Amino acid sequence: MGEPPTIFQRRIVIGAGLCVAAFALVGLRLADVTLMQSGGRGGGADHAVIARADLTDRNGELLARDLPVKDLYARPHVFWDKAEAAHDLAAATGADENRLRAGFEGAKHPYVLVARQLTPDDQEKVMHLGLPGLEFEPSAKRYYPDGRGAAQLLGVTDPDNNGISGLELGLQRQLRAASGDGAVATSIDMRVQYILAHETAEARQMFKAHAAGGIVMDVNTGEVIAMVSLPDFDPNGRRLTGDDSTRNIMSQDVYELGSVFKIFTFALGFQDHTFGLDEMFKIGTGYKIGKSTIHEAAEDHMPDMLAGRDVLARSSNIGSLQIALRSGGERQKQFLAELGLLAPVHGELPETARPLYPANWGVIQTATIGFGQGISVSPLSYVTAAAEVVNGGRRIVPTFLKQDGDRRGEQLIKPETSLQMRDLLRYVVTDGTGKKADVDGYDVGGKTGSAQVPGPHGYIPHALRTSFCAVFPVHHPRYILFVLLDQPHGTKATGGLALAGYTAAPLAGKVISRIAPLLGVPNIPTPVKLASSNS
Amino acid sequence: MIRIINFLCVALMGLSILAVYHVSEKTRIAHMRLDQINRQIGDNRAAIGVLQAEWERVAGPARIQALAQAKLNMSDSASAQLSSFDLLPRRGEEAPLADSPLRNANAQVPATQPVQQIADRPGL
Repeated sequence: MGEPPTIFQRRIVIGAGLCVAAFALVGLRLADVTLMQSGGRGGGADHAVIARADLTDRNGELLARDLPVKDLYARPHVFWDKAEAAHDLAAATGADENRLRAGFEGAKHPYVLVARQLTPDDQEKVMHLGLPGLEFEPSAKRYYPDGRGAAQLLGVTDPDNNGISGLELGLQRQLRAASGDGAVATSIDMRVQYILAHETAEARQMFKAHAAGGIVMDVNTGEVIAMVSLPDFDPNGRRLTGDDSTRNIMSQDVYELGSVFKIFTFALGFQDHTFGLDEMFKIGTGYKIGKSTIHEAAEDHMPDMLAGRDVLARSSNIGSLQIALRSGGERQKQFLAELGLLAPVHGELPETARPLYPANWGVIQTATIGFGQGISVSPLSYVTAAAEVVNGGRRIVPTFLKQDGDRRGEQLIKPETSLQMRDLLRYVVTDGTGKKADVDGYDVGGKTGSAQVPGPHGYIPHALRTSFCAVFPVHHPRYILFVLLDQPHGTKATGGLALAGYTAAPLAGKVISRIAPLLGVPNIPTPVKLASSNS
Repeated sequence: MIRIINFLCVALMGLSILAVYHVSEKTRIAHMRLDQINRQIGDNRAAIGVLQAEWERVAGPARIQALAQAKLNMSDSASAQLSSFDLLPRRGEEAPLADSPLRNANAQVPATQPVQQIADRPGL
């Protein structure tokens, strides 16, 4: 056993321990300063004011972007003359002078918000005032380069840059997640969107329609290529003027679409083999069901007998209801439900509408739904179901995000039915009510619809809601176009007629003639017949 | 001996403190410079973003169409005038649309249709 350490030895050990501890502290601090802190400060530029990613169209064209702006705050207790400061700041920023004066006089907080989202020009004006106690806080303002072009579809954000409508709200999570380093690519093609908006606006003006709209959809992917709703609004202005409207009538409203709905009646007839294209149907002067008698919309021009193909081509209500009644109400309801027409559309667009249909689906309801009355669906829902009829009969889910490849799902109707329907839709355009939608080389098929407009006391006399559903090219369907005019008026050129064949069909033709080349649809000679003439 | 070691330790600690201070100061200056550069990068990126947005606005189809119509007297082409490269025949090959109505249509821009009184009433 050795001797215990002396008092000096213990002091030396304690001193050495303190030195080691001091060196350890210095070493740790050294590592912290040189390694840890310098590594964590590199990404400053990435943390700019951008809080939402860009929205782009399918070709990378910018649809919406955050622009750097400043919020202005004031410390009123440093102002010499608060009233004068309020006056000058109101003049420079456009803020309400009374609000500023009240805020400055009775300030409960050291800071008062003067104005939000000031542009560089406004900031310059404020700086020229030379007032003390002003502070600019970095902020962001959402900017839409195309203005009204896709206003309802893209939606807007609130002053805190949160999406409050349209895709800005529906894609909120993706936009937040991609902020700073990317963009969210939508399915929209801005070239098509512009053409659809331009032609629809011209038609709305020409026919003095209350409202108008259109949708272009890829029938194999469900991508919405364009969606227009008029009247629209300026998303950059944040103020509504004139007849501006933020309502998206193509997804938010439901309509009785009238004769365009006959597509589903005929698809069901083909599917169930309940009629033949050459079978003759008695049209007469009315069809009696119980106490009700159903008439043609233009009875004086409808022959007494019509072949099955001409029932659709000439849009006979009586012929259509006979085909609908052969399948029966239960089967009709099941068929429409399978096509998704009896449920709201769920997708990225938050503005959706629940369809309206009879709770008691009896014989009279089956008959009227057969020609498009008594059931109201949103145009987006209608277009999706019509695309399923012509795309080979397979389910699609409408989407506003860019997709790759074929997204068709389960088989809903037989491929032969889809082929027969495409053939028949082409016949409507070549020999029926849709002649004005035909476009040389683009093989258009489609159906007109001139629906009566319901009012508070029954249908409004002489008021129509006209539409046209077009598929192109019919022999190998790629796109479906739907246009709608709410209460158009006839012109001298239409002989005063406002029917879909004179209003919506030519609009569809104009749109197709402009967008088909852009979409790469081949310009081809008129195709041979697709399906056999008899079902 | 112990005194010498203690002295050396204290001296070493003093030198270390000076060295750490020197490194810390250099790091602080580097941070300031880095922040400045990052702010510049951020400002430049924001400016580029604004310019891109402005470009999208001025190069938008609405403005281009208005300018093309007003300044160049341009108008829409007839659909029959447009075709695909895939449909163009190679040298020596027969045109795929040789006898089709479309071939004739390509050579003729459809004239504006005169207003016609329609006897029947299609369009329902």
